Amino acid sequence: MLDKIFCVDDDPITLMLCKKVIERVEFAKEIITAQDGEEAIKFFDDLASSQNNGEVVSYPKLTFLDLNMPVMNGWEFLDVYLQKDYQTLFPEAKFIVLSSTIDPDDVNQSMKYPVVVDFMSKPITKEMLENLKTRF
Amino acid sequence: MKIYIFGVMKNSSNKITLTYVLILLFVTVIGHKVVSNLPSDTISDTILKYSYIKDLVLILFSGLVFKYILYRNDKRNESIFEKLQETNNEILESNERYDIVAKATSDTIWDWKIEEDSFTWNKGIEVVFGYKKEEVGKTSKWWFDRIHPEDSLKMSVKLYSFLEQKTEKWQDEYRFQCADGSYKYVFDRGFLVKDKDGKPIRMIGAIQDVTKQKEEEQRLRLLETVITQTKDAVVITDIDTSENVIPNIIFVNSAFTDMTGYLPEEVIGKSPVMFSGPKSDILEFDKLKTAIQEYRECFVETISYKKNKEEFWVNFSMIPVTNKDGEHSHWISIQRDVTEEKERDKEREQLIRELTQNNKDLKQFSYITSHNLRAPLSNLTGLLNLVDDMTITDPELKEIISGFSKSTHLLNETINDLVKVVIIKDNPSIEKEKVLIKEIFENVFNQLSFLIGLHKPILKIDLEEITILNINKSYLESIFLNLLTNSIKYRSENRQLRVNISSKVVDDNLVLTFKDNGIGIDLQRNKDKIFGLYQRFHNHPDSKGLGLYLVKSQVEAMGGTITVESEIGKGTTFTIIFKNN
Repeated sequence: MLDKIFCVDDDPITLMLCKKVIERVEFAKEIITAQDGEEAIKFFDDLASSQNNGEVVSYPKLTFLDLNMPVMNGWEFLDVYLQKDYQTLFPEAKFIVLSSTIDPDDVNQSMKYPVVVDFMSKPITKEMLENLKTRF
Repeated sequence: MKIYIFGVMKNSSNKITLTYVLILLFVTVIGHKVVSNLPSDTISDTILKYSYIKDLVLILFSGLVFKYILYRNDKRNESIFEKLQETNNEILESNERYDIVAKATSDTIWDWKIEEDSFTWNKGIEVVFGYKKEEVGKTSKWWFDRIHPEDSLKMSVKLYSFLEQKTEKWQDEYRFQCADGSYKYVFDRGFLVKDKDGKPIRMIGAIQDVTKQKEEEQRLRLLETVITQTKDAVVITDIDTSENVIPNIIFVNSAFTDMTGYLPEEVIGKSPVMFSGPKSDILEFDKLKTAIQEYRECFVETISYKKNKEEFWVNFSMIPVTNKDGEHSHWISIQRDVTEEKERDKEREQLIRELTQNNKDLKQFSYITSHNLRAPLSNLTGLLNLVDDMTITDPELKEIISGFSKSTHLLNETINDLVKVVIIKDNPSIEKEKVLIKEIFENVFNQLSFLIGLHKPILKIDLEEITILNINKSYLESIFLNLLTNSIKYRSENRQLRVNISSKVVDDNLVLTFKDNGIGIDLQRNKDKIFGLYQRFHNHPDSKGLGLYLVKSQVEAMGGTITVESEIGKGTTFTIIFKNN
């Protein structure tokens, strides 16, 4: 069981569904959510500044990231994240794109990011999480 | 003959004088003898002697006079003779010259003695026109008969007016028939020989074979019509670039006038630079300039200006031509007004741009739509998955939730199928891989194990040992899945379902047949619709009208073809052909 899991999605129902399923399969102890990329970056910014202040922070090892979001979408988020070099600051943080997109380019594009480990189609299911449990 | 007589006369002039003198002397001597022997003394001896001497003197004197006269006569004869001989020599010489000329020239010479109508030809009639000596006629009729009927009237009018000496010269062009029946174009010149009264007695003519010139002339005239009659404008310039970078015009055809409005006299001697204007393409102009400097052919398309300043698109070539010594002598330019084509092209480009944009928009639209549909739908599915784990005791609520769940799953399937179609249509170049057909079947049977277990169809599968296809695996799987599901869905209730699946390599193609004994499709009514989108042929609860559309799309995306045969109540056969390369 993971300590922390981060879900980024603009759709509250999706977030609710994520929470419910994660709880049911006991995938993570704590579920943090953000509504768009900007909010998610802010979350990592805060973590980074705390860590730079010498605090020991626990960061989520896994993030479910939606692609189509207002303000800052999934791609922009990933670009900023890498630009800020957070992958060295949070070496164990991995991302799974969780999207309802069908554009095959999106799938290929997501695999180009080193921090993205998988691309999954919505909805999130118990089976998916059980499967992930073996990897994390 | 005359010469001989004159010669005899000359030699005998002395003899004649001598004979004359001798005869006279003889007569005188005899006379004197007779007179002296007469017995008469009436005539004195002295008188007799005197008379005798006088006679002798007289005879000698008359002999001398006679001789002188004869001599004078001889002299005169001699000079006449010399003159005659001179004339004779001249005639001989002239004859000889005539013969030499007649032999040397390629002309065919004819000689017509008009009054006797005797016509003679030189060798030319045989050499040039191919007649055998014995075939050549001896009258003027033979000549006339061989003149082309279309030319003979005009020719004879001219000839008779010449014979009647109404015209001074005679020369004519006509067609003359050869021995083989073909006609040669000839140029005939003749002159008349007249007697002392000025009456024509002979006519001599020289026929020149001008067929080659004539043909060349006709060929040139034909070639000229290309320039004069063509709808393309033709411009010819010289090569002098000292005044202008583009040499001056020396010829334009009428099509050029039609195109630009300029008359030939308005442009000849001027450089074509005058047709360019503010909107003309400078790069094209530079290209032309360089080509002219390098004596290279060049093709230009630019805006040009008519006489009335109207602009138009012209497409022209500029081709260097050489004279017969191989020296560059002119530039020839073929020009065409391509304004309409240009505008059509522009319209077409605009249309293509719009279509491409529309297509892009539509594609984007279909992605967004499907995404926007899928997002809430995935939520519904996820939520229903959660409900599945919960125990619901209220039977009515259970029923409602069950209906809700079924509808959601059906909607999900439809959306997923549509999404597949969108992806197939969007990806004409799909990834291909080596696929073993047998493996695919196993996958399909696994996925349909529930349905197969339920309906227990008799499956007869006849695959050639190793059939490897270079195609997209998931497409082929989807095709088989759809076809097999259809067979099961539309089975006949009266008999056990039988499905024959076979693969065969025919030539370079792989032929897959998929045959069932189901309820069949009325192809007469539905031929055009069978592979169409949202076409349903049976009122079946699961039928969405997507399967065959998807199958066809996938087959075609892989470069294959699919055909169907079906009979109501008997079954349906699908044949899929892939090129196996």
